[in-house]
Amino acid sequence: MKKRGCLFLAAVWMGIFLTGPGWAQTRQITIALGSEPTTLDPQIREDGGERAVNDNIYDTVLTRTPEGDLIPSLAAQMPELVAPDTWEVTLRPGITFHNGEPMTADAVVYSIQRVIDPDFNSEQISFFSTIKAARATGDLTLHVITDGPDPILPSRLYWLKVVPPVHSKDPGFAENPVGTGPYRFVTWQRGQHIDLVRNDDYWGDAPQIMAVRYRFIEEPGTRLAGLMAGEFDLITNLLPEFTSHVPKSVNVLGLEHPIVILNADSGITKDPQVRQALNLAVNKMALANGLFEGYAQVAQGQLLSPSFFGYNDQVTAYPYDPDRAKKLIEAAGVKGQTIELIGTSGRWLKDRDLVEAVAGYWEQAGLKVNVRIFEFNEYLNRLFDRKTRADAIFVVSSNELLDADKSFSAYYKSGGVGASNTDATLASLIDAARSETDEQKRENLYHQAVKRAYDQAYFVWLLNIEDIYGLSQRLDWPGRVDARLLVQEMTCQ
Amino acid sequence: MGRFIYRRLIHGLIVILGVTVIVFVVTRMVGDPVQVMLPLESTPEQRAAFEKKLGLDRPIPIQFVEFMGNMARLDFGDSLWQKRPAMEIVFEKLPMTILLTAVGIGFACVLAIPLGIIAALRPGGVVDRVTVFGSLLGLSVPQFWLGLLFIVVFAVQFKILPTSGAGTPSHILLPALTMGLPTLARLVMLVRSSMIDELNRQYVKTSFAKGLPFVRVVGLHALRNAGLPIMTLVGWEVIRSLAGYSVVVETVFAWPGIGLTAIQAIEREDLILIQAIVFTAAVCVVVINIAMDFIYKLIDPRLKLT
Repeated sequence: MKKRGCLFLAAVWMGIFLTGPGWAQTRQITIALGSEPTTLDPQIREDGGERAVNDNIYDTVLTRTPEGDLIPSLAAQMPELVAPDTWEVTLRPGITFHNGEPMTADAVVYSIQRVIDPDFNSEQISFFSTIKAARATGDLTLHVITDGPDPILPSRLYWLKVVPPVHSKDPGFAENPVGTGPYRFVTWQRGQHIDLVRNDDYWGDAPQIMAVRYRFIEEPGTRLAGLMAGEFDLITNLLPEFTSHVPKSVNVLGLEHPIVILNADSGITKDPQVRQALNLAVNKMALANGLFEGYAQVAQGQLLSPSFFGYNDQVTAYPYDPDRAKKLIEAAGVKGQTIELIGTSGRWLKDRDLVEAVAGYWEQAGLKVNVRIFEFNEYLNRLFDRKTRADAIFVVSSNELLDADKSFSAYYKSGGVGASNTDATLASLIDAARSETDEQKRENLYHQAVKRAYDQAYFVWLLNIEDIYGLSQRLDWPGRVDARLLVQEMTCQ
Repeated sequence: MGRFIYRRLIHGLIVILGVTVIVFVVTRMVGDPVQVMLPLESTPEQRAAFEKKLGLDRPIPIQFVEFMGNMARLDFGDSLWQKRPAMEIVFEKLPMTILLTAVGIGFACVLAIPLGIIAALRPGGVVDRVTVFGSLLGLSVPQFWLGLLFIVVFAVQFKILPTSGAGTPSHILLPALTMGLPTLARLVMLVRSSMIDELNRQYVKTSFAKGLPFVRVVGLHALRNAGLPIMTLVGWEVIRSLAGYSVVVETVFAWPGIGLTAIQAIEREDLILIQAIVFTAAVCVVVINIAMDFIYKLIDPRLKLT
């Protein structure tokens, strides 16, 4: 039966695709991704190509609006905290997986246990590290138990894709995915394309687009050419300089923040005056307009975008004030001294350009800058090195949970992999927020953390980069702040 | 002949063994895949667990013994990046590169031999000058630029060929042309100079004097004697392509071959896949070299195989 079902879907797909010039009327689109998924099991990897496809095949317990607000998806309502370490989730009734398996509390419990099982070795484990267990309390209700109060659990459930308990045990699951989402899997020609068709039994609003083909083109120039030739309807990671060449483009404030981590414990950056001077010296607006052609915004003195939980709108960017920067450098007695700035090249959009531009500004402020661009692995050695911390390390942080906890634990909190401070007060604020279940109190704790890190200038907060997509003339899509490519939100003529 | 095959196989095995040992050592000396594979924010505990899972926490000699044992069974383990057997990926991608190479170099051979011969018949003539100029141009143009130019002209402007990908005969035309043109340029120059040498030899002049037909003298005798360097170059082009030279064309045209996969594996520090690809490339080089020796013998039976 399953085989016949697959054959039917393949026949539908072939029929749709082979209809030639009439295909525009059948509302199919082709999306060019920068990388091919390595697996279509949605719980194994932490991989952009995989997410782009699986986000359309699978549903999550909670989801987000295009603006970033958490809302129920498979859950009928937002989870409720029934004990300090227990969240109750109630599911929507009547949902089935594409193969007919019912989507019940057992399926969600199974999905949670599967992803946190150490033997399963999921690369997504850091998203679920606080979850201890899950148990069904009814057909459509379950409890998620954490290893202490975990206010971030709703954000974690936004990441949890629910898999079918029976079919996911099939050894071929990773190549034949089955979810509850708005699109069904049809075929995967490795190296060439993945095809999905609309799930007409979808529990939510019916998508307008009938079918989607994913192509994998690593070279940005080739993706652009494909869009201009009419082969693709949507391309990802469009370079800012190409936006004027494409039929349409969409830009949305994204998840990536380039920053420079300053060593607050030793070297010339130990002095807060110097750290503030390094912030004041950089013309961030010029970087946004010059390097990114306006497709980036000045970061407002924090490692968060306005759509992130914990964003403090009372804190704004350090202004560009080169004269004050020079005076602070002189007052700190470090004029003419050398600062080491570490970066890498080709890992993030315009990473080397940003490092060199920052170095130029710092030199204008009266310092000598020793820029060291390392191959990525050596760069990571420097970033993770706890003993001989560099004065300044460039990094681009990305936070898919849209919650301050992930970024702050890694970069703000003393001992975090990217932190260069031993500020116990800041660490205690982040720790307190991590277990505070009162949303208002938790937000206040993050606001304090943002303000403290800003006053101490532990970083040079540079930009918040926008995601840019190239679109064909016939496709409409407003984009999303969480960078998900949800085909159900797209329409085509 | 049996002795020759035996000796060449032993030499080939030594080369393959040497290459794999070098790759094993280099992939373990340069970089740490654990750091690259896991997200930046991973904890030291998560890194340690991943390292243990990959067996990278064990002493290098133990890793090496296990590696050689597995290699003998063509089992390099699962790709860190794709989470499936590395050799499965190689066997999936290699035919695509062989196809691209065959079409690209085949196209070059089909055009280069007649063009080179025509140019050699009247050195300094108009055809010769145009051929030499065209060849120099073909050699001077960077391949990636040529590929992008073809895409802009044939796919974007005229919309007669696809920009990228694989699957239909039309998909292979632009990448094969891009791959074949530099080979064509090199080959034309070689055919031309080899044929000029041969055509000036006494036996050719004698053959003409005896009234042998032009096509027979040029096409059979002269071309056959000029064949060895031509075959050497064709073999070298095939080896280069299979050993990684196809990477530029495969990247520009998103052609799902072994070259593109090699670059992706290197970018992701997937040392298991890198080992499998380099091993396969080494095997290809050895096999083609042995095949070339046989072809030499076919072209010129006077050659002694040692």
